[in-house]
Amino acid sequence: MTQQELQHLYWRAGFGINPNRYKSMPKNKAQVIEDFFANSKTFTPLHIDLSYLNGIKPIDLKNYPELKKEINQKGRKKILELNNAWVKRLFNPKELLRERMTLFWANHFVCRERNPLYAQQYNNTLRYFALGNFKDFVKAISKEAAMLRYLNGKQSRKNKPNENFARELMELFTLGEGEYSEKDIKESARAFTGYNHDFEGNFIFRKLQHDYESKLFFNRIGKHDGDDIIDIILSDKRCARFVSDKIYRYFVNPKPNKKHIDAMAEVFFKDYNIENLMRFVFLSDWFYDEVNRGAKIKSPIEYVVGLATTVPVTFENDKDLLKIQRILGQTLLDPPNVAGWKGDKAWIDANTIMIRLKLPSVVLNNGFIALGENGDFRKQFTKNKKQKLPFKTRPNWEVFLENFKYTNIENLQDYIIQGTINKGTLDYIKALDKSSKQAYCIQLMSLPEYQMC
Amino acid sequence: MDRRKFLKNSALVSSLFFVPNFVKAFESLPSERLGYKRLVIVQLAGGNDGLNTIIPYNNDLYYNARPRLAISKNIIKLNDDLGFHPSLSPLQSLFDNGELSIINNVGYPNPVRSHFRSMDIWQTASESDEYLQSGWLGRYLDQHGKKPYNAMEMDEQLSLAMKGEHFNGIATSNYKTLHNSAKDPYFKNVLNHYNDAHLSEHNLGYLYQTMIEAKSSANYIYENTKVKSSQKSYPQNGFAGQLKNVAQFINSGLDTKVFYTSLAGFDTHANQDYKQTRLLTQYAESVSAFVSDLKRSSTFKDTLILTFSEFGRRVNQNAANGTDHGSANNVFVIGKNLKTAGFYNELSSLSDLDANGDLKYNIDFRSVYATILSQWMGVSTKGIISGQPKPLDFL
Repeated sequence: MTQQELQHLYWRAGFGINPNRYKSMPKNKAQVIEDFFANSKTFTPLHIDLSYLNGIKPIDLKNYPELKKEINQKGRKKILELNNAWVKRLFNPKELLRERMTLFWANHFVCRERNPLYAQQYNNTLRYFALGNFKDFVKAISKEAAMLRYLNGKQSRKNKPNENFARELMELFTLGEGEYSEKDIKESARAFTGYNHDFEGNFIFRKLQHDYESKLFFNRIGKHDGDDIIDIILSDKRCARFVSDKIYRYFVNPKPNKKHIDAMAEVFFKDYNIENLMRFVFLSDWFYDEVNRGAKIKSPIEYVVGLATTVPVTFENDKDLLKIQRILGQTLLDPPNVAGWKGDKAWIDANTIMIRLKLPSVVLNNGFIALGENGDFRKQFTKNKKQKLPFKTRPNWEVFLENFKYTNIENLQDYIIQGTINKGTLDYIKALDKSSKQAYCIQLMSLPEYQMC
Repeated sequence: MDRRKFLKNSALVSSLFFVPNFVKAFESLPSERLGYKRLVIVQLAGGNDGLNTIIPYNNDLYYNARPRLAISKNIIKLNDDLGFHPSLSPLQSLFDNGELSIINNVGYPNPVRSHFRSMDIWQTASESDEYLQSGWLGRYLDQHGKKPYNAMEMDEQLSLAMKGEHFNGIATSNYKTLHNSAKDPYFKNVLNHYNDAHLSEHNLGYLYQTMIEAKSSANYIYENTKVKSSQKSYPQNGFAGQLKNVAQFINSGLDTKVFYTSLAGFDTHANQDYKQTRLLTQYAESVSAFVSDLKRSSTFKDTLILTFSEFGRRVNQNAANGTDHGSANNVFVIGKNLKTAGFYNELSSLSDLDANGDLKYNIDFRSVYATILSQWMGVSTKGIISGQPKPLDFL
């Protein structure tokens, strides 16, 4: 496996890799990929302290409006805490691929939940099934408290079915727009009636509210319940193709390639095993094609986590991490709507590009980008410190220097940047004075090219 | 070639030949024409209580529904039925001069009472069960925008309202900071050396193009804004600061059609009186200062100010001396040549409420947008507002 291939794999299946790790890696591609999966076999749920909810019963909230208010206020803070815990987990992931997949699924099974208990549970369901069986995954999602609330499933009952979940199930989660009729939505909505959850977030099936009559769905008549509907949808190959297409555009290239996606759909349709599908993708030669390397615009989370993977950085104030997500346009747990973030070019406009170009120098070097004058990297530490900065951070350059110890400074761009650098730009940065790896690293991170992975 | 020599050469070369044409084109573009129609949006975030803003002071139902929250003192009576919250006194002269139109009962079918969703609906001009990924002003930009600064938001992040399918406005809470970032000499050098004839054909090209646009926008705003153009003193609060910036931009003749401002904190579930009084005071004093600032520079006649909130609040007060999320609400339109000034329509009945106990809407907010687009901005609503709503008569 070449260095470029390894970096490509790590940027898509993780958030980048540092060169000091190359030596200890197996030479064989299949082995590297197997290690990747082996590392994500385990599942480590994300937990924040929710003990303030201990002993509280629904009736208490009804009887004591002041308590309810307090619980709600606390809940809002806890959602931010969960966001923070998630981002920090991404900075130092144990099961790298599982976390990467969790991030992907969070923008597939999009849900916005303000109750921290349900939000945490939902997030862990995404994490648990991230590499599992897609059929089990969809069924679990249909029974999640957060989803039942978000898409009005819990309000859906016999004689008054709510179509919101049924519609999004097909449009966004399994088939794509236009692959079903309005009649299919109406009939399947009846199958999901009676779904509800208790105060702790456990699924409850309310028999009295379920419609037990026959439904005609995708030309199949039966007394379908929700799980039956999901089985019927997944027995259609279009579902395997829809999900493969989405995975391709996220993990391989935003420009779809029909041949490759068809091949993925063949693999996926066999058993809907997500791990097998991802293994097929990462083992395919086309995954490493030059057109796919550096073809993707990093999402704000990929961008920030990737930066911190190269230069570990501590934010002194947790709120700053939140602020960065917000100004870059992607706050975890707070998607814009049920369709999620559009991604790719939509990440970038005149506002976000300037912030992205300036952020590495702000976070890592008091806002200063060296121009290649002798010693100006060191100079700024004494001179520019008084400048007021929006964030208080502590970059750990020692770790960076250790990670890049055996990397020749002349080649640093090959490790920091994915894909090719514009010829004119490359000529310019190559001509800059190269006395400090830190300074050159920041110069590279302050390029449009650094937005790609 | 040694480094010093290279730098010297490249600096010379870039200043003479290598400044790519697209950069030049951006830097030297003249603002097309001055004195054209501008729209200023004021978003009252959190759901302003419209009933305690425009008060039905002669209606027993109002007082019965709000035994401890109804306002009975110092109401500024505007007609026989309705009056201003006392904090809105700075706006009275606008009302008296026919420069304010109050549209009651604005909303949409099947109202959503989530802040988040309802704000999306207002910003994207969607149906209540429709999820649009672009905003109504963004779609206006898609068709009529040329530069990001044609629409500016006075915040550090851009609202969905200002995002189009292909084109976005620019957000800046401080245009000087934006300029400072953009003028970093490193970026300038990178752009001077960047060479690619196929700009924007691929993702990297798109990034460079957006970088150039951002840089030239920051530069444009900074170079063309005359700080002295706003001389009026404004109240000391963040919202007033936003409007002062807008006044500077307008009075400096910036090529900006749409400005977006926001005042937050209207989610008054408890102890509403104090909070709303404080916010409405900020709103009214700031808007009043803004209007006289524009009048002094003769730019008021070309400016329209639209104030909205994502929903109104429940007619009945709650146990915590506050109000819960409601639906239909009033919208303020401020401008010089209003066709229907004062009250555009009567307040909906307080006895005929919807199932939640909220006011029923009878004017769709999208017809307010359509009116502004067609009668003020002078463009067709096609592709911007769906369903071709009929324009109203306030403009």
